[in-house]
Amino acid sequence: MSIGRRRFLRNVGLAGLGAVGAGPLLNACATSTSTGAVTQTGGAVTVQSNLSAPAAKTAIEALVKGFNDRKGATASVNTVASETFRTQLPSYLTSANPPDTYTWYPGSLLSGYAEKGLLLDVGDVWQTMGNYSDAFRTLSGDGRGKQIFVPTTYYWWGMFYRKSKFAEWGVTPPRNWTEFLALCKTLQGKGIAPIGLGAGGNTPWIASGWFDYLDIRINGAPFHRDLLAGRKRFDDPKVKNVFATWKEALPYFDPNGTAVAFQDATTSLLQGNTGMLLIGAFFADSAPKDILGDVDFFQFPIIDPAVPVAEEGPTDGFFASARTPRRAQVSEFFKYVATAAGQELYIENSTGTVLPTNPDAKDSGTELVTKGRKLLQDAKELTQFFNRDSSDALQPTADAALVRFIQSPNEIDSILTDWQSAAEKIWNA
Amino acid sequence: MATLTASPTVAPPPNRARRRQRRRVPPVLLAFLLVPIAVEAFWVFWPALQGFWLSLTNWDGVSAPGFVGLGNFGELFGDPIFRSSALNTMIWLLLFGGLSAIGGLGLALLLQREGRGVGFYRAALFTPVVFSLVATSLIWQALYQPDGLLNKVLGGLGLESWQHAWLADPDTALYAVLVPALWRQVGYVMVLYLAGLKGIDPTLFEAAKIDGAGRWQQFRFVTWPQLRSVNSVVLSVIVIDSLRSFDVVWAMTKGGPYHSSELLSTYMYSTAFQSLRLGYASALAVVIFVLAFGVIVAYLVRAFREDDS
Repeated sequence: MSIGRRRFLRNVGLAGLGAVGAGPLLNACATSTSTGAVTQTGGAVTVQSNLSAPAAKTAIEALVKGFNDRKGATASVNTVASETFRTQLPSYLTSANPPDTYTWYPGSLLSGYAEKGLLLDVGDVWQTMGNYSDAFRTLSGDGRGKQIFVPTTYYWWGMFYRKSKFAEWGVTPPRNWTEFLALCKTLQGKGIAPIGLGAGGNTPWIASGWFDYLDIRINGAPFHRDLLAGRKRFDDPKVKNVFATWKEALPYFDPNGTAVAFQDATTSLLQGNTGMLLIGAFFADSAPKDILGDVDFFQFPIIDPAVPVAEEGPTDGFFASARTPRRAQVSEFFKYVATAAGQELYIENSTGTVLPTNPDAKDSGTELVTKGRKLLQDAKELTQFFNRDSSDALQPTADAALVRFIQSPNEIDSILTDWQSAAEKIWNA
Repeated sequence: MATLTASPTVAPPPNRARRRQRRRVPPVLLAFLLVPIAVEAFWVFWPALQGFWLSLTNWDGVSAPGFVGLGNFGELFGDPIFRSSALNTMIWLLLFGGLSAIGGLGLALLLQREGRGVGFYRAALFTPVVFSLVATSLIWQALYQPDGLLNKVLGGLGLESWQHAWLADPDTALYAVLVPALWRQVGYVMVLYLAGLKGIDPTLFEAAKIDGAGRWQQFRFVTWPQLRSVNSVVLSVIVIDSLRSFDVVWAMTKGGPYHSSELLSTYMYSTAFQSLRLGYASALAVVIFVLAFGVIVAYLVRAFREDDS
């Protein structure tokens, strides 16, 4: 009894020392608590997940259940609200006893962590992924020859509309920018707001979809990547040109575009108050199932036929902490999520609008998804999305610039100057 | 008057025996003092000092912090977003603080007398304080929607030209966010003043009335001076509350559209957790601390000086 208590006190003392020692490392993040480093090689692989939407949460839980039912290593999911996840990610990765694996996307943020040696090399997992396309392989590398990411699903962006409404209005999907503007004009003549947006409320980032697409259609994907990586400038005349084209379509935007969030913009589209909406396939998560059969999309109109066609295909998947004590189990889990069976299981349990990264895996097979998969397969190049191709830190600078442009397009020169100086602060940080 | 009340507090010089007795503090008492101080020091003072140290670095949350001296503070001077968010914070301090103090005092004066239904009104005005401000913000966000209640009411009154995307327009966003914050704070300040008013000796009013004081004179020469201690509490509360106002703004606009409703607190948060510039964000935190501390200390020093004279 007394020994027990003494040991307890000693442990408390050690934990206290640990906390003091870790204090300067973790610093002012008062929310990051340091637990004593319990090195455990057994136990379940912890999956820190930011998929908190009900449908996605069900899907990842089904995936982990499928993994556990194999009677090998086991895993357990810990779902965290995505904002918390994002802000706490640095604390997770630098803590002494971090979660083993994380849901995330490839991009500059991950390469940055890899550079600091915080991420697990998953090259052994990639040896079982020979059938994956080179695009995914390159995307999942850290740029210095190490694989740090395992992609599992991706999705597409498109100009979504309702088939029945287009039939009712007697219009057809446009094939290029000129036809697109003509379509907008026709719809406006019928008293409909032609283009919905949804860049208000808490989703100003939606506007970046327009910027991305116009830039990759006009200046091409390589320029776009250079721009977002800080190798080109936002006050470049080529960028100004993007906004000049955007301005042609601006009169056709829903006047409430910067006032409502994308969920409300989706409702407006489905009710027929707006004609079209440039958005990712994820919007289907918040749409009623019975209407989905009536939803179709067309490719973002081609502006310059000389520019190789690029599409946005944001990819999601997993990475692992370099400090995991369960390397073998993590590797086993990653090999499972990369299999066709694992991805099919995930998609069956999700809303079914995501595509599997494993080329041998079946998608949900709906008309919409088949069309989406073909769109991305036919593309010469894939981009991710603004924050994924740049960083989450750069995203707010885009939100400020783009929403301001939509509201006051004539201030474009000062908008671009401000954007460049805001972006430089992020790049130089 | 002041000298009369002050004189009894001047204690006679204690004799030696008593002083020795006082020096021996029981160990239990010592433990009760030292343990909380240690906890406070570890969880409050130490992180605060860390914050000051971080403001002198370029920490990004992951790498080891690099010392940059006063570089972050230098950058603040040239940062247009810092300037506009500081200006917005000043507007917020004046409107949020001023209106909630005036409104709270007015309501307290109105509701101080007991009567039928007064309890109901007090409770109704205090209710907003009970709700979570984030939940409140979500409701107000719905009211402010382009097709929300506010615009519908304006339309119903034939004021279509007044209809507005309240939170999306940079000219109205800050004020639209201020209203729910105020809606909550007025009830809180009212309760503080009600407590203060209850503490005033009614004979003072009787004496004033006998001397022929009118309502305004009673307020000016009896109520207001008697409320001085409450005033300092209210001032501290509203200065601190307005400088830390964050949840309502973040939940409704995140400081947007394009920084038009940005306060120092939201700018600090987005710099820290979106831009991942924790060093610069710590410099912003230091500025907020100095502002809050400065205003309150200046007031308290003045208040004590008035008491002494």
